[in-house]
Amino acid sequence: MPISSLVLTLDASPESRALALSELARDPRITLGPPVEGRWLPVVTETASPYEGEELAESLRELVGVSFVDVVMVDFSEEER
Amino acid sequence: MDRRDFLKGSAMTAATLAASRLAYGQDRAAVEPPSTARQGGDVQWNKAPCRFCGTGCHVQVGVQNGKVVAIAGDQKAPVNKGLLCVKGYHVGLALYGQDRLTTPLLRKGDKQVPISWEEAIDIIARRVLKDPKGFALYGSGQWTIPEGYAASKFVKAGLGTHNIDANARLCMASAVTGFLATYGVDEPAGCYDDLDACDVLITWGNNPAEMHPVLFSRVIDRRSRGEKVTLIDIGTRKTRTSGFADHSLRFKPNSDLAIACGIAHLLVENGTYDKAFVEANCAFRASSTPPTLEGKAISFEEYRELLKPYTPEKVEQLSGVSQKDLRMLAGLFGRRDVRITSLWCMGPNQHTQGTAMNSLLHGLHLLSGHFGKPGDAPTSLTGQPSACGTVREVGTLSHALPGGRVVAKAEHRAQMEEIWNVPAGRVSEKIGYHTVEMWKRFSTPTEQGGDVHTVWVQVTNPAQSLPNTHKLVDPSRKLADKFLIVSDVYPTATTRIADLVLPSAMWVEKNGMVGNSERRTQQWFKLVQPPGQARDDGWQLISVAHRLLELGFAGMKDKDGRFLFDVKGKDGRSVPIWEWSHYYDVNVDEHLFEEYRKTTRIKHKDLAPYQEYVKARGLRWPVVQQPDGSWRETRFRFSGFDDPYVKKGRDIQFYHSTSHDDRAQIWFQPYEPPPESPDSEYPFWLCTGRVIEHWHTGSVTMRIPQLRRAMPQAYVEMNRADARKLGVDNGDLVTVETRRGKLDLPVWLGGRGEPVEGSLFVPFFDERLLINELTLDAHDPFSKQPDYKKCAARVRRRERVAEKQK
Repeated sequence: MPISSLVLTLDASPESRALALSELARDPRITLGPPVEGRWLPVVTETASPYEGEELAESLRELVGVSFVDVVMVDFSEEER
Repeated sequence: MDRRDFLKGSAMTAATLAASRLAYGQDRAAVEPPSTARQGGDVQWNKAPCRFCGTGCHVQVGVQNGKVVAIAGDQKAPVNKGLLCVKGYHVGLALYGQDRLTTPLLRKGDKQVPISWEEAIDIIARRVLKDPKGFALYGSGQWTIPEGYAASKFVKAGLGTHNIDANARLCMASAVTGFLATYGVDEPAGCYDDLDACDVLITWGNNPAEMHPVLFSRVIDRRSRGEKVTLIDIGTRKTRTSGFADHSLRFKPNSDLAIACGIAHLLVENGTYDKAFVEANCAFRASSTPPTLEGKAISFEEYRELLKPYTPEKVEQLSGVSQKDLRMLAGLFGRRDVRITSLWCMGPNQHTQGTAMNSLLHGLHLLSGHFGKPGDAPTSLTGQPSACGTVREVGTLSHALPGGRVVAKAEHRAQMEEIWNVPAGRVSEKIGYHTVEMWKRFSTPTEQGGDVHTVWVQVTNPAQSLPNTHKLVDPSRKLADKFLIVSDVYPTATTRIADLVLPSAMWVEKNGMVGNSERRTQQWFKLVQPPGQARDDGWQLISVAHRLLELGFAGMKDKDGRFLFDVKGKDGRSVPIWEWSHYYDVNVDEHLFEEYRKTTRIKHKDLAPYQEYVKARGLRWPVVQQPDGSWRETRFRFSGFDDPYVKKGRDIQFYHSTSHDDRAQIWFQPYEPPPESPDSEYPFWLCTGRVIEHWHTGSVTMRIPQLRRAMPQAYVEMNRADARKLGVDNGDLVTVETRRGKLDLPVWLGGRGEPVEGSLFVPFFDERLLINELTLDAHDPFSKQPDYKKCAARVRRRERVAEKQK
């Protein structure tokens, strides 16, 4: 179960941000931290495979209300390769 | 708390700290890499630069039981300050695709069958002996610096030819000639620090939001923190970058030259150019007859006269960019109270007038004085991790020699003969074949002048990335005496058609050094073993060189009879590094680098000793030793406040000036129409490029199931109005056709990119849909870089999704 540590930069518009936050909250793979200054959202994802983690990170980039996705850390130490 | 909860807690702490740093803009303190909190705590962390683009982010690589198990942004790295883009995922995973090449393969009939390394090395050596002049080496900006140096030495000092070129010819060559024509020396004067200081960021024909996201987010984060940074996106297609821009300007293909001339015209006519800067530091240049990279000197008045036709009205007509926007751009360049950074990438480079366009971009910054201060910089970006460090600095090109030297200069050849300790005359005066010419000759029958009989490809995928592949690649596969050797980590379009395939080690499976877009040289150590019999590209080269020595080939000996790649151990005895079992008995990288370092001074590209790079997260050249023995990097070249080679008391000094008077050249280059434009028969513009999910030809990223699912195949982006006229919708199949070939592709409307009416965009990552069978091989006269961004095409509707489902 790879774990990824991400930071999402949210849009300036409060409406878009609210949309993004509600969308993120619906995904059981995602744990949200408290937003910093309302714009920078710490996120931890837990996925079945590192590939799924990557796919999830990619999809977050496309989410309405998300400007940017930065990767802080990816741990796939339990992955059988 | 179980281990999983602890891991998640640590991950959240790391994310929260990073979020705070982004929010408050503080440089992170140097701290240890995040702990993966493994029970048993046996994960070993080491630094390495990312394997992918030219940004040069540093990662921390976590290794356990001989496998990479974690990747983290390196908090000590000035480039990325602990953050990575989404490619941070597959920089670790790329090593572990299921179909890594693990044994040498030789073509026998229709099959490629396993053979031993000894046999493979012998086959290559005998291909050289067939005719050394017809043996070519084709590499890339993914060669590490020591590998590139070994490749260059193998061909130039060993074979006595210059038949070596690299795929950077296809992406960076016009940037190089633009720098040389302007400053007399290659590579940007500024650095990434400019992104932290600019008030205006102009992106010319590039899409850093997707291709260099870590750099782009540096600017976006500043805006998010309330700083005012104006973003201006200038391109032929709407991209993700355009979405962030305050001004998004669309121009007709090839008319970027007219736009640059139009801005210069307004600066001159309005008197808003920086007269003091220009008078102190610049000269003017125009094309000579015959055309050369030095051109001819012209006066300011002549320059002004040449610009006169480029009125806002005329430029609007040529480019489609409104007079209002042109005046807005000229207004910004005319201001002394803002700092302007320009970024560009493939748009101005993959251009039949690439040298001209690059020169004009530098010229705008010089004319307006937006140069040499933090935030004021013209900076070209690179797409590969070492296009700069290896191809441009080591000089793995058919016309180049290490350290900024060129084959054409006898003095430079003599210097390299001395450094390589080879007899006078060994370094040939005959320039080798540039990429397009090399492949053209490989694909031409020998009796018709096709004098390249063998090409050895390392770290690139030319059967997919070369332009006009029907002409440059396919014919060679039908000629019995042409032999293609390919070293790679995964099967690719090129390995599949090869006669001999060699399995290579990748990234942290070997030692390495690379150089990024801001002159930053970086180093890493081998951390894990390569799979099966995969081996370093550097070892492959040295092993072939030694086999040639054994077969009596004199070129692999120096003047004193020593092997060209002789390396001594601590006991003073030669180490047999050509034997794989001994390759890591010594640090071959360090030996090659220390030899290469001797070549770097003449162009003031001074490098520090290898061990300095072991300690650092990269150093930007020139790196100069201080009185206290420490080594200091240079952030801003030619600027008196930072560059140690600028004479004391001078603000700016262009010490490699082509006019030998410490001046940079402001060029006039006219707008010229492209070699092929839409007409009644082929009414569309066709542009090719990259997508975020796949790196270049997709040879690594298409192996990652989720990425393949996210972006499973190539497509054609069209404007909605064109789609309506054609009667096609999303997903419908169309045939895209040029004078060179045709391809069936699904339509994508309203995706992340949006071409203007009358133009198409097709990505080149998909080896099953080779768009480069359709592109032109027309290229810039100086850089020889082909233009992948514009040719004429037509589109026919083939199959509608609705019909398909019936």
